[in-house]
Amino acid sequence: MESVLVAQALNALFAVAVLALIALGLAVVFGLLGVLNLAHGELVMVGAYCAYVAQTHGWPFVAALPLAIAVCGVLGLVVERWLVRPLYHRPFDTLVVTWGLSLLLRKCAEALFGLGYQSINEPLGGTLDVLGATYPRYRLLLIAISIVVLGALLLWYGRSRTGTRIQAMVDNPDLARALGIRVGRFAAATFVAGTCLAGLAGVLIAPLVPVQPFMGLDHVLMSFFVLVVGGLGSTAGLLTGSAVIGGVNSVVSAVSDSTGGYFCVLVLAILFLWLRPSGIHARR
Amino acid sequence: MRAASVGTWRAAGVAVVALLLLPLVAGEFWAYQMSLLYLYAIAALGVGLCWGRAGFLPLGQGLFFGLSAYLSGLALIAFDQSAWLLLLLPLAALASGALALLIGTLVFRRRGESGPYFSMITLALALLAGQMANNWESVTGGFNGLKGIPGLPGLDSFIAAYYVAAVALVLACAAVVWLYRAPLGVLWAALAHNERRVVLFGFDTNRLKAVAFGVSGLLAGLGGALYAPQQGLVTPQLCGFVLSADLVIWAAVGGRGRLLGPVLGALLIGALTSALRDSFRFWEITIAIVFIVIVLAYPQGLIGVFAPLERRWRQGRRALAALAAPPRRQPGGALRLQLEDVELQVGEVRILDKLSLAIERAGVFCVIGPNGAGKTSTFNLLTGELRAQAGRVRFDGLAIERRPTHQIVALGVGRKLQIPSVFAHLSIADNLGVALWSGRTRASDLLRPRLRRWRTPLLAALQERYPFLAEAQRTAAELAHGERQILELALALLGEPRLLLLDEPCAGLSPQETAQVIDVIRWASQRSAATIVVIEHDMSLVRNLAEHVFVLHNGRLLAQGSVAEIQANPAVKAIYVGSEK
Repeated sequence: MESVLVAQALNALFAVAVLALIALGLAVVFGLLGVLNLAHGELVMVGAYCAYVAQTHGWPFVAALPLAIAVCGVLGLVVERWLVRPLYHRPFDTLVVTWGLSLLLRKCAEALFGLGYQSINEPLGGTLDVLGATYPRYRLLLIAISIVVLGALLLWYGRSRTGTRIQAMVDNPDLARALGIRVGRFAAATFVAGTCLAGLAGVLIAPLVPVQPFMGLDHVLMSFFVLVVGGLGSTAGLLTGSAVIGGVNSVVSAVSDSTGGYFCVLVLAILFLWLRPSGIHARR
Repeated sequence: MRAASVGTWRAAGVAVVALLLLPLVAGEFWAYQMSLLYLYAIAALGVGLCWGRAGFLPLGQGLFFGLSAYLSGLALIAFDQSAWLLLLLPLAALASGALALLIGTLVFRRRGESGPYFSMITLALALLAGQMANNWESVTGGFNGLKGIPGLPGLDSFIAAYYVAAVALVLACAAVVWLYRAPLGVLWAALAHNERRVVLFGFDTNRLKAVAFGVSGLLAGLGGALYAPQQGLVTPQLCGFVLSADLVIWAAVGGRGRLLGPVLGALLIGALTSALRDSFRFWEITIAIVFIVIVLAYPQGLIGVFAPLERRWRQGRRALAALAAPPRRQPGGALRLQLEDVELQVGEVRILDKLSLAIERAGVFCVIGPNGAGKTSTFNLLTGELRAQAGRVRFDGLAIERRPTHQIVALGVGRKLQIPSVFAHLSIADNLGVALWSGRTRASDLLRPRLRRWRTPLLAALQERYPFLAEAQRTAAELAHGERQILELALALLGEPRLLLLDEPCAGLSPQETAQVIDVIRWASQRSAATIVVIEHDMSLVRNLAEHVFVLHNGRLLAQGSVAEIQANPAVKAIYVGSEK
């Protein structure tokens, strides 16, 4: 009995950790730059296909990580320069343009890999005993990675000079520019960091999900709802949002079906829009 | 407003004849292809209405198309060839419209959100609908869809189905033309660019947007209801993401800002897609790139190519006779205004600190005070845009703190904002129209295009003073700064408010223009017996205008009285040391 409880707790922890990892890139870009990157899910998809490419070439799984960072980094640079930067003062058009980009990436994936589902082998097989429950080792590793990535990013953002400059840019771009901070370059770097995080998350979840061109849609929606519920611009918000959305989705899906879970997440997001439009952890 | 020109009618006639002749010229294959595209075009019209007109982007229109397609398919199967279908198929379309109206009401309810939230929720709803259609096998037939749907009674051939779709498309276009010509269409265009200003004219913009979304749902529903009998098969893909995305692309590439843009997009791209999809592997990638380029660089879309032609047609239009507008629906006379111990704090900043003041008669009142005294915040409080933490705000004894802005304004409040915020992309006539409709219309009036011919004696008098106000077809964007200030003032006056709030009406004006504005304010005050409250920094102007002056300092009322009393007041002198004029 106890082992079942532990397994359920680990499942919930896993769901929250993975959701936080996927939402992180969107949170960075939306929270710091105010740009809702609707192609975020497709960048996760690109990351997952990097894992697929590594597997078909017989490379080790770990090789997919630098590959994904390279591909998504270049994509991020190009997209920031040519699509996002001209539109920084037109947030609505950024939404539309990144939506077009998501379409483009999906169609490219379709043209390159076809519509079929691909599966990626888990790089770390087997299970581990945790307090009497047996749990897949790869999932435990993912939980650990998620915690480490989030923690490292948080620490760096709070302590480093670059982090402070980015905070200055977010707070008041004009003043930051007047102080000699290269706002344009930091914004570009922030955007690229967001796309790389998306690619990274894509590689890591690839062994656990069917990889196909349409997989990004769900991820961008869930990530967005995490931010709606949690609030923008803080790690606490990201974690609370992931906990609420991931928790509700997995509990309701377990009780009824995935449609029910989806429906509840939507209702929750609309309720938050009415009652707490800036989320649980409002920035100001 | 002007009548449609001969050119417009001629073009519409040519289009209808082309629709009628197409199956005879192009053959049955293309007639079949086009009849499907006509239904998609009807749904794309709705996307254009929301996005191009009202300024919010629905990403999940497939939901409404699919819902009514399923309902219509089920009805056709259950009542094959029965007369009931004449009632049930329109009901299927209406169900989609009602659902869209409901969703719009729910999402727009609290904050006038037109950005990512709305788009993401509609996208999520479409995905949810696709899932439900997939899983609910007993009703929807699951993944393989609803099969063997019979055609419309007596209209079963390809050619008949073609004409049904063509007639539906023409009717849908006509309905949308009607809406765009009615005040509702003008208000949609106005709120897309400056929602706050429309609210300050007393319109419930959240409801206007919900109605726009409802209409778009109805249009998608009409397409869906006819899709089922035409295609004989309804699958879950219809509700989901793919059709929703195509509709947005068609609207953008064709040109979302004009009536026929989305139709052109749907027909052209749809036809090219069915011709090229199999032979040209990168067709869909090309379309995605075209979409991005259009959004970045050419928002008018393909229909923008015809803009010069359209301008030539417009010249043939003649103006329609003016109609006298009815009086305001609220009683006239000055509005009694009381603030009692009002406290207002935003974040850490205390803006108003137990502010109390009362204005109980008509006349011109000035509010002065150093920057940060809380003058504009007091105006925002009076129009309900800021909420006081404590204290009372009463109009004619009625507490208004809990009411939404558009209701407060409807009690007879007019406001001119500090920065001129006329609707730059609308014509002067439409700008004036929005102000005239304020307080004079019921919801149903907004559907009557004749309201665009309304005139009032006040408008005639204003046009006599400022002839540029009669240049109906010029857009407000073409006006110089001084003219915009005058237009903004005219808009505030035209609603004939009982309480008129003017925030620095002379900011940025030349001495002559300032003199003119003062003249108009005095003239309006004599004509209307309204209470006029002016925020002003310029003491010479205050001396000229004010019957009574309130001095605010640090969120409190420091002093009040006649101009002479204020100037003699030692406390006022103390805060203005060195800045007295």
